[in-house]
Amino acid sequence: MTSIVTVEHLNKNYGKKEILHNINFTVNKSQIIALIGENGAGKTTLINILLDLISSNSGTVNILDNEKNFKERIGVMMQQNISITRITVKEILKLTQSYYQSPLAYEKIIELSDLYDLEDSKMDKLSGGQKRRLSFALAIAGNPDLLFLDEPTAGMDSQSRTKFWQTITDLKEQHKTVFVTSHYLEELETIADRIMILQNKSISFDGSIAQLRVLEGESMIEFDSKLLPNLFKDMPEIIDFKKVGDHYKFTTKNAELIIGQLTPYLNAINNLKVQQNSLDSLFVNFNKEGATHE
Amino acid sequence: MNSFIYQININFKRIILRNKRFFLFDMMLPIIFYLLYSKVLVNGIPQADLKTWQMNYLISMIIYSCLLGSIITVANTLLEDKTSHFDILSRLTPLPRWQYYLSRILIFMLLNLISAIVICLVGILVNHLTLPIANWSLIILISVLGTTPLIFMGILISLANNPATVNLLNNIVVFPLAIISGLWWPITMMPKWLQSIGKLTPTFEISNIDQSILHGTIINSHYILGIILWLMIIVVITLLITKYQKHKELIIE
Repeated sequence: MTSIVTVEHLNKNYGKKEILHNINFTVNKSQIIALIGENGAGKTTLINILLDLISSNSGTVNILDNEKNFKERIGVMMQQNISITRITVKEILKLTQSYYQSPLAYEKIIELSDLYDLEDSKMDKLSGGQKRRLSFALAIAGNPDLLFLDEPTAGMDSQSRTKFWQTITDLKEQHKTVFVTSHYLEELETIADRIMILQNKSISFDGSIAQLRVLEGESMIEFDSKLLPNLFKDMPEIIDFKKVGDHYKFTTKNAELIIGQLTPYLNAINNLKVQQNSLDSLFVNFNKEGATHE
Repeated sequence: MNSFIYQININFKRIILRNKRFFLFDMMLPIIFYLLYSKVLVNGIPQADLKTWQMNYLISMIIYSCLLGSIITVANTLLEDKTSHFDILSRLTPLPRWQYYLSRILIFMLLNLISAIVICLVGILVNHLTLPIANWSLIILISVLGTTPLIFMGILISLANNPATVNLLNNIVVFPLAIISGLWWPITMMPKWLQSIGKLTPTFEISNIDQSILHGTIINSHYILGIILWLMIIVVITLLITKYQKHKELIIE
């Protein structure tokens, strides 16, 4: 696989405050990489360093072989919306296209960002979701090989979000590489090839969601029963036990063992559900563990 | 090159054509002042001196208009570029930074040129002022080129990055500069010590070059050198502050 981003031993301080510590990773072509972390974890700082907007204190960053004109091949959707007064959507798109040697066709930009009927609208008159779509359109205007998306779906309605992630998946099929941060972890779960968790100034996890599940290995078991809680609460490997009325809810790292132990009571149990943890809860657990380990 | 022409085109539309603030503030304010002091409130001026006064005041108002355009409009436009994230958008693209500024500087000069032409037309049509076309052209050209240091001063003020500070600096610079350089009232009305400060200002220097063209006297080369010196000083300060802000990472929001 071709590596298009390589970061080695990267450190960043603001004054005496350390923001990023010994960050190392590589990004391969045609991957969707999700960078997640709590607010203030340093995600945007890391992206700004990758984009050469700010410098690191030490370490190396290699993007697209450090080509002199690497900005020809990257597209960036910033966290903030761009809202210039007295310019229409069409004008800003044409202007942005003009900065690049081989831009994406105008019609294609409109199609991918779903900006039909908004071409003649003034930028500052767009709604939050429309501004987000325009920011995406500006990011892809140069037909980039590497896309940075910082909180891309914030402010979009659910229909737009679904369409947006489908577009990102399609771009991946066209061998584009996407580096994305988002707070909507359930969305990343379905599209990301790889998750990086930025925690305590470092990358504390770097792998697939499947690997994170193995690491965290938690499942949720739920059922309704009129049986007494004493029968269940001391079962081994239960991490969290809750009972509300006749509804039981366990969290465990060994769902198979618990199901085995529930077998004798199956006649008195209804609505039994076993659920793997979502990325959201995996992330929360991972962070909790990280905090405990500190 | 196509990209540069497109930038000029877009910046012309947003900074001049669709910008009501430009027409109301940079153009109308000096025109109203001019009409008021050269047509309405002229009772105390002898008829023989009226034409000279109308001509001299026209030059003051051309420069005043260029001062408003160069500092207030430039600083506000560049600040708006930052707050609307237009500035960062262009920094993330392959667009060379010099093109970003040059495309705007040319539009700001065009903005001053339009104001200067319109004010001259008001003088011609309302006060029936007459001058050879070459002199009109030279006065307009000198006013527009001479106010280039002021455009850089506008760029410098925009580096404050904060709307309240930019507004404050605009007011601190523009109105005192207009007053002490004699654009509103003759400089001779002011105390001697203030006159000596006023004579060092770029607006006084441009005004004097224009007056020389108007009255057919020799242009004092000190004033030309003075404008060049102002330009150099302001450009160097702007570059130093930009470098400092980049070093301190103050330009990323």
